[in-house]
Amino acid sequence: MVEVFAVASGKGGTGKTTSTLALGMALADDYDVTVIDADTGMANLLFHTGLSDRETTLHEVLGGDEPVEAAIYERFGMDVIPCGTSLSGFREADPARLREVVATVAEQTDVILLDSAATLGSRSAVLPIVLADRVVIVVQPTIPAISDGLKVQEYATTYGTGIAGVLFNRVTQDEGIDRVSDKAQQYFEGEILASIPESEEVREARRASQPLLAYAPESEAARSYRNATDSLTVRDGEEGTVADRFRNAVIPEL
Amino acid sequence: MNLPQGRLLRQRVLSSPETVLTGALDRRLTGYARLEPQETLLLSADRVGVVTFVDGVPVAAYHTAPDASGTDALTEIASSGPYRLGLYELEESALDRIHESESARVPPEMPARVLGGDQQLIERTRQRAPNDRLESESNGRDSLAAVEAFLENEQQIEAIRDRAQSEAESRADEWNLPVE
Ligand SMILES: Nc1ncnc2c1ncn2[C@@H]1O[C@H](COP(=O)(O)OP(=O)(O)OP(=O)(O)O)[C@@H](O)[C@H]1O
Ligand SMILES: [Mg+2]
Repeated sequence: MVEVFAVASGKGGTGKTTSTLALGMALADDYDVTVIDADTGMANLLFHTGLSDRETTLHEVLGGDEPVEAAIYERFGMDVIPCGTSLSGFREADPARLREVVATVAEQTDVILLDSAATLGSRSAVLPIVLADRVVIVVQPTIPAISDGLKVQEYATTYGTGIAGVLFNRVTQDEGIDRVSDKAQQYFEGEILASIPESEEVREARRASQPLLAYAPESEAARSYRNATDSLTVRDGEEGTVADRFRNAVIPEL
Repeated sequence: MNLPQGRLLRQRVLSSPETVLTGALDRRLTGYARLEPQETLLLSADRVGVVTFVDGVPVAAYHTAPDASGTDALTEIASSGPYRLGLYELEESALDRIHESESARVPPEMPARVLGGDQQLIERTRQRAPNDRLESESNGRDSLAAVEAFLENEQQIEAIRDRAQSEAESRADEWNLPVE
């Protein structure tokens, strides 16, 4: 089985990378999980996983120089495919090859999480949303972030991608968030999965180049992420058919 | 509502509207910020939001298409990024007319609350604001209350979703992506 999730927000700094790794680690208790940094223009998953000195990353794979296997690192109970940060790596990467990468990885894992870009402004930025089965939308409880989250939902729906749920991140006020979350629910097609508090542990984990669930597994934020995955039922897809689906996906070359 | 053209200080594309407020506060701007959604280019509507400032502190806001002023205008701006931003300097006297409009005036920290600014920006704005404005205009409505009010306006949210949908469709066409 395999299900592909894009973790997206349409806005910067909402906590997509933090959430990708936290959800990945929580899901890794029950599934084989692969996380891919599909934010190929502004990659930062490598900094959250202690992989910033690796030479072979998704860039080299998308550039046609390396097979996918060479860019897979076992970290924190997951398979991690980081992406490099160099401009030349980005220039030489062919975003359309991401589909092939997902197809290959789909043959050997249960859950794929695609950490996505902070924008909907280019073809390569929306590609993870196009390729995914469902999207996890990460928003802060602010009007601009929720509006951008709704935009992500409309883009996803347009491309036939489902909505797995919404995470409210960086929540600073306990009172009020439940009312906001209830009211937001009526506009989102997936469940509101959790409210993650703004917390020092999340920042410290980033500074320590570790995912939150490795650095502070007992923190309130970590607990919230684990609760979120309780409401996230991974759907079965036949490995073969899924891989085929990605190989044959009607995504025309650039 | 019309403002005389100010002197352009800065022009850029941005996705987080609250950075406008930080920029205005840092340079103690007297003048206005003009925010135009990038999507306007695609959908060719004339949607522009304006926030005015005195000494870096927001005073008034309005929006065209849909027409809105005050907090409603801010909500309209908050929900339509990414933007092309222009920051303009203007003499305070040129801002008098709009600043006399009760419906356009907003409490000093309201733009920070509605545009998603953090607590630090809200505090800094309040510190810079003249005391009489804090007393007479601040209504104590907190940031989550602003979000709640936004979520209660079903019509406005439908409008955001409709715009996003047509944008997604025209983009799919442009980028040659498959549509369901
Ligand atoms: N709940 C939280 N509490 C405190 N800090 C947080 C929280 N979530 C994220 N952050 C911090 O905010 C910053 C941005 O988080 P992250 O990199 O996960 O966001 P992102 O959406 O992936 O950003 P980008 O759009 O730049 O890719 C990081 O420094 C992270 O540590
Ligand atoms: Mg990121």
